[in-house]
Amino acid sequence: MAKMRKRMVALGGATAMLMATLAACGGDSGSSGNNGDGNDTPSAKGGTLLYLQHFPFESTDPQRIYYGVELANFRRTLYRSLVAFPFNEDPDIANTPVPDLATDTGTSSEGGAVWSFTLKDGIKWEDGSDITCEDFKYGASRAFADDILTGGAGFYLKGYLDIPEGGYSGPYSGKGQENFDKAVTCDGNTITYRFNKPWPDFPLSVASLMATDPYKESFDKGDKSKFTVLSNGPYKIEGNKWNVNKGATLVRNEEYDPSTDSPDLLRQANPDQIDYELYTESEPIIERLIADGGDDRNAVTAARIPPSFFSQIEGPIADRATLVESPYNSYLVPNHEKLTDVKVRQALALATNMNGRLQTLGGDKAGVPAYSIINPGLPGYSEQEQFTGHDDGDPEGAKALLEEAGVTLPYPITFTYGQSDTNDKAAAVLAEGWEKAGFKVKLDPLADTYYDIISLPDKESDVVLAGWGADWPSAMTVLPPLFDSRANFATDDDGNVTNLGQDYGAYQSDEFESLVDQAATAPDIDTQNDLLTQADTLLANDVAYIPLDTTSFYWLRGSGITGFMTDAASSSYPDLGPIGVTQ
Amino acid sequence: MTSPLQESALEAAEPSAGATEITGIASKSPGQLAFARFRKDKKSMVSLYIVIFYLLAAIAAPILVKTGVLDPLTTNLHLLDANSLPSGDWWGMSWDHPLGVEPGAGRDVLSRIWYGITFSLVVALSGSLIAVTVGVALGIIAGYTGGWVDSIIGRVIDLVLAFPQTLLLLAAAPLGVALLTENLHVPEGPLSQGMFVVLVLGLFGWTGTARLIRGQVLSLREREFIDAARLFGASRRRIWFKELLPNLWAPVLVTFTLYMPAFISAEAALAYLGVSVRPPTPTLGNVLNDALQYAGADFLWFFAPAFLIALIVVSFNLLGDGLRDALDPKAER
Repeated sequence: MAKMRKRMVALGGATAMLMATLAACGGDSGSSGNNGDGNDTPSAKGGTLLYLQHFPFESTDPQRIYYGVELANFRRTLYRSLVAFPFNEDPDIANTPVPDLATDTGTSSEGGAVWSFTLKDGIKWEDGSDITCEDFKYGASRAFADDILTGGAGFYLKGYLDIPEGGYSGPYSGKGQENFDKAVTCDGNTITYRFNKPWPDFPLSVASLMATDPYKESFDKGDKSKFTVLSNGPYKIEGNKWNVNKGATLVRNEEYDPSTDSPDLLRQANPDQIDYELYTESEPIIERLIADGGDDRNAVTAARIPPSFFSQIEGPIADRATLVESPYNSYLVPNHEKLTDVKVRQALALATNMNGRLQTLGGDKAGVPAYSIINPGLPGYSEQEQFTGHDDGDPEGAKALLEEAGVTLPYPITFTYGQSDTNDKAAAVLAEGWEKAGFKVKLDPLADTYYDIISLPDKESDVVLAGWGADWPSAMTVLPPLFDSRANFATDDDGNVTNLGQDYGAYQSDEFESLVDQAATAPDIDTQNDLLTQADTLLANDVAYIPLDTTSFYWLRGSGITGFMTDAASSSYPDLGPIGVTQ
Repeated sequence: MTSPLQESALEAAEPSAGATEITGIASKSPGQLAFARFRKDKKSMVSLYIVIFYLLAAIAAPILVKTGVLDPLTTNLHLLDANSLPSGDWWGMSWDHPLGVEPGAGRDVLSRIWYGITFSLVVALSGSLIAVTVGVALGIIAGYTGGWVDSIIGRVIDLVLAFPQTLLLLAAAPLGVALLTENLHVPEGPLSQGMFVVLVLGLFGWTGTARLIRGQVLSLREREFIDAARLFGASRRRIWFKELLPNLWAPVLVTFTLYMPAFISAEAALAYLGVSVRPPTPTLGNVLNDALQYAGADFLWFFAPAFLIALIVVSFNLLGDGLRDALDPKAER
């Protein structure tokens, strides 16, 4: 997490997710207003919605999209899937997929290792052709061409489909096509996926990510399709091509038939047109929204309000602002190669001033203290004792632990974080707390290549800053991706670890990995969640991570926006499903 | 700048005429004449005082930080409100924090900008020294030697001028800093970052001086005293540094004074682009960079460093202009 305003999203990009949040309480902390009035008064049809983007999208090819905001946006406008999450402020509803292009939410057999979906009739691409089972199959096959189609979230599908490792290399080379044709089959209008192990939450992944979205083979130009769009949703792009440097204009897709959709659950598609306008940073967007003039009255954005604007969000402007808890957590990772003594890591955790850090980032509008790496909105969340009771840091207690550990004081550590104005200040506050406890802190702010550098095994850092959100509402997409060394470590021919993946602290624990294995093959979701909670407690006791905050999203919109909602289905970004504009 | 030039020339002429009347035989060196002219120019004197004030402040800051009077690093989160802005009226001004505290971390504003002056001036001063030294040396060599040496140095100047140095600074900053820390064992952090900026400013800034000095040397080398030295068999190095250099101190001093403000604002601009010394170590540039976003929400935090940068840049520029007017041979005749 480097440059906060941009990177926060890049961080979402590295993680892209949909998940339960505390949006149940409206996520609204009183001061801000009419979140979700769309439920009571349906928005009027027509008008033009202005969407102000503060960073360019990575791609508009469904199999290459991983940014949370983009998944949320396009699921409502351009790309439908077998099943989708409905917009609703109740996370229990918003986290339960409903049929979209399929007739139901799928049937599983063989204990969840085989999944089948039957397609609806009358579903069409924007060019008027039918969406066929073959299109779905072709879309799934593209997950294997990840050497050409970089950046997406196809690795889950790739890992689960019942194909021997290296047995298929995607539709372009066609090598091992027969293996893929066995794993994914079409029977008339019914598509069947066969996995190598049970995948009970497969429909959640279908709804959250776009790896299983259909793709029309004749439209595929490989890497050249990076910014082309063949829509099947209520909108299409003028000119079929997304301009990565400017944005695009979305107009109604004449071939889209609302009777095949569930407009009240998934896509009201109220505005006649959606204009995307691209900026490179948040400030000018927020300035425009505060001014609220002309077309900007019908503008919405996924740029969070920067702290320097907080004092301006008052009076009538505050009615247009919404504060929600996001599905993202920030956390610190102690380097287990260097901080080998668990007492030293505990001391570090104990001396961490969570509240002070949040204060520098903007107080409660920036986030709330976290007591686990699992977001409070996820099943399997429980407060970890190791991290509670010292939100302001406890330097004395930490000092006692360090003395117990018998290390020479001051104990030198290097703290690596992604550089930004706010992160610099937050780092200063954290360092101050640690130094009170007897650490000697060297700050090591890094620029753009931050995540590449902290993934290296021989880095100098003793502790690094990171952020994460679940890919779908399950802690299975939090703990294993971040701490399972088998899934993360890359080794060279001699067996030396060359890259840590997302296990930035080089954490390796057989006990943890066996718990994760048990969870993966658990007979039911409840047992799975119990096991994951146990695994989380193990991580906390090992201080594999130090939670910092559950990040808050603070949104501002124009005064003409109706039906504004942020929910679990949209990863707490503004949900375009129920949104409308005043003409 | 013709009018102040003429003014100061006139003003300078009067008193010296008066002085001749009284003492009859008072003689004055060109330096004394120039100094007298300079002192008559109020603008230059005021800017000289301001510059001296800054220099004293820059020298005092590290001592005050050591003794604990200034504290640019300790955070005071209890002085911030719910929006992380300084609480209370007047941007959180108090006896402990005369200019308030910064938004976000609550560090003392006065300490940060005061200490920032030190770092900014050190960066600008070192950069100017490098630029002037390299420029003068190459300018003398090119101007005096002429021929292919002159053309090579001339082409090098063209090349350096054509080089996109901002791009280089941005792209090569991490590399350059790593080079300094790994190969030359410069300690990581503010020192290596600052050193990189100094080197780039210096090694790209010398071209103007070199051209100016070369021009001066071209005319000087035709003068009789150089011919005399050559006839006496003086070595090249002696002619360069003992004969030519002493006659060049006026333009050197002026360019040096004009490099300072240019480099101070260059440091600020680079800080905005994320090169230069990084926080928490304050420089006027990185403090202003952070303060920019708060121009609306916390005016003083923005105004104080912006004003200090503007004041020092204007002062150094006026000082440079004043020096040029006082030292310019044309004004003398």
